Amino acid sequence: MENILSVLVFFPAVAGLLGFVVDKNSIRTYGITVVAIEFLLSLWLWLGFDMANPGMQFVEMIPLIPDMGISYYLGADGISLFIIVMTTLMTLIGMASMGETKNIKNMILSLLFLEMTMVGVFVALDAILFYLFWELSLVPMLYIVGAWGGPLRVYAAIKFFLYTFTGSLIMLVGMLFVAYIYHSLTGVWSFAITDWYALVLPVNYQLWLFVAFFIGFAIKVPMFPFHTWIPYAHGQAPTIGSVILAAVLLKMGTYGFVRFSLPMFPDASVLSITPIAVLSLIMIIYTAMIAYAQKDIKQVIAYSSVSHMGIIMLGLFAMNAEGLSGSVFQMLSHGIVSGALFMLVGMIYERRHTKLMSEFGGIAAVMPKFALIFGIMLMASVGLPLTIGFVGEFLVLLGFYQVSPVMTILAGTSIILGAVYMLRVMKRTFFGPLDNEENKKLSDLNTRETWSLIPLVAIVIWLGVYPKPVLAPIDNSVKALLSFMDEKAITQEAKDLIRLSNTTKGGN
Amino acid sequence: MEKFVYIALFAPLAGSLFAALFGMTPRKIFVGIVGSLFIGLAFVASAVLAYTLYTTGTVVHVRMMDWIQAGDFNVSFGFVVDQISVTMMTVVSLVSTIVHVYAIGYMDHDKSFNRFFSYLSAFVFSMMILVMSDNFLGLFIGWEGVGVCSWLLVGFWYHKADKTREENPSISPSWAANEAFIMNRIADLGMLIGIFLLYWNTGSLQYDEVFAQLPYLSETVLVGAAIALFIGAMGKSAQFPLHTWLTDAMEGPTPVSALIHAATMVTAGVFLVIRSNPLYSMPEVSDVSFFIASLGTFVAFYAASMALVERDLKRIIAYSTLSQLGYMFAAAGLGAYWIALFHLGAHAFFKALLFLGGGNVMHAMHDELDLFKMGDLRKKMRGTWIYMTIASVALAGLPPLAGFWSKDAIIETAFNEHTYVLWGMLVLTAGMTAFYSFRQVFLSFHGEDRHTPLGFHPHEMYRFVLIAMSPLAVLAIITGWFMNSYKAFIYQIGDGVQYEMSEHTHHLATYLGLIVIFFAVSGIVIAYLKYARTGEHAFRRNEEKENGFFYKLLKNQYYVPKFYEEFITKPYMMISEKFWTEVDLKIVDATVDGIAKFLYSAGDKTRSMQTGNLSNYLNWMAVGAVLLLVIAAISAMIG
Amino acid sequence: MIGLTHYLIIAAILFSIGLAGVLRRRNLLMLFFATEVMLNAVNIAFAAISHYYNDLTGQMFAFFIIAIAASEVAVGLGILIVLYKKHGSLDLDDLASMRG
Repeated sequence: MENILSVLVFFPAVAGLLGFVVDKNSIRTYGITVVAIEFLLSLWLWLGFDMANPGMQFVEMIPLIPDMGISYYLGADGISLFIIVMTTLMTLIGMASMGETKNIKNMILSLLFLEMTMVGVFVALDAILFYLFWELSLVPMLYIVGAWGGPLRVYAAIKFFLYTFTGSLIMLVGMLFVAYIYHSLTGVWSFAITDWYALVLPVNYQLWLFVAFFIGFAIKVPMFPFHTWIPYAHGQAPTIGSVILAAVLLKMGTYGFVRFSLPMFPDASVLSITPIAVLSLIMIIYTAMIAYAQKDIKQVIAYSSVSHMGIIMLGLFAMNAEGLSGSVFQMLSHGIVSGALFMLVGMIYERRHTKLMSEFGGIAAVMPKFALIFGIMLMASVGLPLTIGFVGEFLVLLGFYQVSPVMTILAGTSIILGAVYMLRVMKRTFFGPLDNEENKKLSDLNTRETWSLIPLVAIVIWLGVYPKPVLAPIDNSVKALLSFMDEKAITQEAKDLIRLSNTTKGGN
Repeated sequence: MEKFVYIALFAPLAGSLFAALFGMTPRKIFVGIVGSLFIGLAFVASAVLAYTLYTTGTVVHVRMMDWIQAGDFNVSFGFVVDQISVTMMTVVSLVSTIVHVYAIGYMDHDKSFNRFFSYLSAFVFSMMILVMSDNFLGLFIGWEGVGVCSWLLVGFWYHKADKTREENPSISPSWAANEAFIMNRIADLGMLIGIFLLYWNTGSLQYDEVFAQLPYLSETVLVGAAIALFIGAMGKSAQFPLHTWLTDAMEGPTPVSALIHAATMVTAGVFLVIRSNPLYSMPEVSDVSFFIASLGTFVAFYAASMALVERDLKRIIAYSTLSQLGYMFAAAGLGAYWIALFHLGAHAFFKALLFLGGGNVMHAMHDELDLFKMGDLRKKMRGTWIYMTIASVALAGLPPLAGFWSKDAIIETAFNEHTYVLWGMLVLTAGMTAFYSFRQVFLSFHGEDRHTPLGFHPHEMYRFVLIAMSPLAVLAIITGWFMNSYKAFIYQIGDGVQYEMSEHTHHLATYLGLIVIFFAVSGIVIAYLKYARTGEHAFRRNEEKENGFFYKLLKNQYYVPKFYEEFITKPYMMISEKFWTEVDLKIVDATVDGIAKFLYSAGDKTRSMQTGNLSNYLNWMAVGAVLLLVIAAISAMIG
Repeated sequence: MIGLTHYLIIAAILFSIGLAGVLRRRNLLMLFFATEVMLNAVNIAFAAISHYYNDLTGQMFAFFIIAIAASEVAVGLGILIVLYKKHGSLDLDDLASMRG
């Protein structure tokens, strides 16, 4: 149990290396077995996780370059735990539902390496290690988009790579500068995030560093105006690529804010609430409108992803436990729901080789199971109570109301605009007369597809009705994070804005 | 008692899941029967709870399990059965049971029979959560749940194509369903804001805890919360300007219209105001309450005016629902919460009966709803005729039927509060109500036979359906007689809902009642003279009048849907397109690509330095060296 | 009295002549000559400064440079002869195979 995090990180990679010698015909079974074991391992991690402890658990630390303070340093808390579980789950389900047959071996090996880097990002507690996994994750994704994508795949892949890479280089400069300050203050080098937490930086230093990290994370999230790579990436990527991209890769950005920006630069974070909230509002409203104008189902979901990430960003900067917990929960919810939606679009694409809404209409009559599951995911996406989508969205809006009621009302339009574009997809694709001959021959979901979606439906409803098992540990860690920020903040304004507990007026 | 609470709540869910098991298989009659039995069970449980509450007066409050906990926020699934919720539970489960049985007959030929029952029972479950919840967020679950079920059921015949607004004012079932959902979502945002406001100022969302804190809240908070919650109520109860979805929702199967868009879901907004009566009775929010009453009165009149000229049977009933909801809000806004609730119950019975009768007509006429194509149906559909007449008399407000007692009380309240303008409008509306409801009865069941020449051969509904409808007919007649015992029952809850007429009003009550009756009777008489006679005085269409300004204005619903389309839907679409093609692609993305292209072309341009000529390279080298020297010199001078 | 400055001026003049030759000349052989002039300019400067500071390191360095220049000329001229044999010209404008 002590080394479970290392096992989680390197098991897929080792299995991926061994996979080179596995026969092409059995690679699919091999891959699914590996990711299933990985998922079970992550469940075991959850099982062994001490829910009452808000700090880092399963910590592993091996110095790599002691002179530079770089070490192999892993750990997980309530915030990262569930993102890891979600990562392994979505990889498993994505791979199990994958219909791709071309170069299947390369695809599965890429996915295994990708899984290593994704888990690595969420457990790394050393900045260099974090950066390593962060950048490595681009490579398999570049390959997946570039090799299996649509007609514009090379453009999309390069755009994705260069854009995020540029951002992360700026982040790297920020990291090196933090390490430099750490060295000049303490006399020793260290890249351990937990050491960096102890640094109390002057506000202007915080602001500059916040901006450096912000650019790296914001491009990944992707925040307006850095979001334009995502429609191309989603539009061109194969289904599995979109699933992983939406479910996990985007969460790296928001996770970065939680892991680095908030605890390291509390004053700068408080100062940047308004600008970030404005950007988030633009993301929420503007991209929801763009989603409405789309003709391609997948693009609607791609833009809706950006819109939902806006809600997550808003929650991160609510500076209270309600908003932050809701935001982390929304990361999981968005991962599952958007992943499922992309899988569904992929299924219809495999049948008709088009994703244009105008090509469809009335297919609920021939594909009732598909329509049902799509409907459930759609409702989760628009935040219907008792589905997973409501809990996060509600908590985020509730939390942010404390910061700014006006902005919350604007952000709340997401529940209207979300319904507008999603229902339009539903109406134009599933409803209306079934008059296209091509569509009359469509077959409903097969067993493989059904069974890869049913677990997601079950989770969507389970966590909508009873989110406590997930929400409670998140809440614990979030509260610890907030009280840490409060302690560390140097300006009184920041202390006033970070709300720990008992802030409701009538509360007792 | 907890046992009954859970039965009342979960029996519909069980029924829905049971039907869902067969959702994709062909029609199975037992699915409908089992579904009805489950809802019937919920009704029995509700009735037991109501009886126990009536005899013992003990409120049942159960807490099932935790739901959302984060920070200090803590909401659980909790249910409360008090006088208000038990009224709703009984009404909802009773009407639902009857509608379920009715639907077995009505949906007889539909291939999605099983799916229909699954949705219908899911709706009842959501409605039960809505009324039974002990906190605002639980209410919100039900609130959104009924919204989704309404979306599913309005769009039940999803395969129908979109038509133009001239051909079909509701365009298509799936369009109407989306309109209903989105319009409700707009209102739901208001409700969410109200919830946030209450939470941050009281630290809880549980009704009793929130209401206990009310006296300590500032005026801004109280007014804000009252307005925000009422916006939520406006959406669900289709109050102006969020009313257009209700008439369009008539695209759904008629049992759905009867259950959801007449008896239960649309009254949820009224229920919310009644439930939050401690908030709306605060002296600080009296302006908001008065606004509610005024808006209610306005909607009562406004909707009734549109019903005057409508030819579509179902849409007339929809307008009358809107109008009656206005009456309920008028009562609630004036503080007569229990009268509003009583009218809600009575209205549920006679309106459901009216709709189901309308469904019979529609079934007989093969989905033809145009009143001008009917006439003289009473000979062929005697049972339905009787039911429709009873329901219309009740709706028109003639004693001794249910509508008279409850509506008269509302009108009396308006007099009692000295809001004479409201009183006048409500009385006038009562006359209009009588006119349009009898216009509809006379046009369909009396007068000249206009349907046989058009090739219709109507036939009466199945006998079991007519029998199933009979409890509603009985209730539409007798409910009003129990007004005083209901008053005693609801008064147990405490001061909040109690409302008594002043001595002065009491004195004048008989005259006030007579005025209302006079208006109602006049309405009926006018309708009779115009529409019911045969032969020489038979009803003839008047082209000139139909092209008149007022007629067209009313017929087009004051051009409100047109306005929404032109000034909201279309611009929204246009701006979205522009954002995508002009802003996102041409500005935001083009900037990114521009940077990339700049770097690329910069490399491309500077490539010409690479001549391959050593002499050129040496020249560049010298330039570089000189530049470095200059920089070094300058920095030395500055430094 | 001839002082350090004079030597340095001479070195600078010589260096400039060499530099001008490097920049202006097109013939590779001439470039070699120009380079030699520059190297010798540096040698003069080295020797002069070395003397000025009474430190032999500079003069020693000048010897190194003379040795390197000699070997460079030897190798360079060899290459030039091969080039001339191959292209029949030592004009730089004719030798642009590295054009990008």
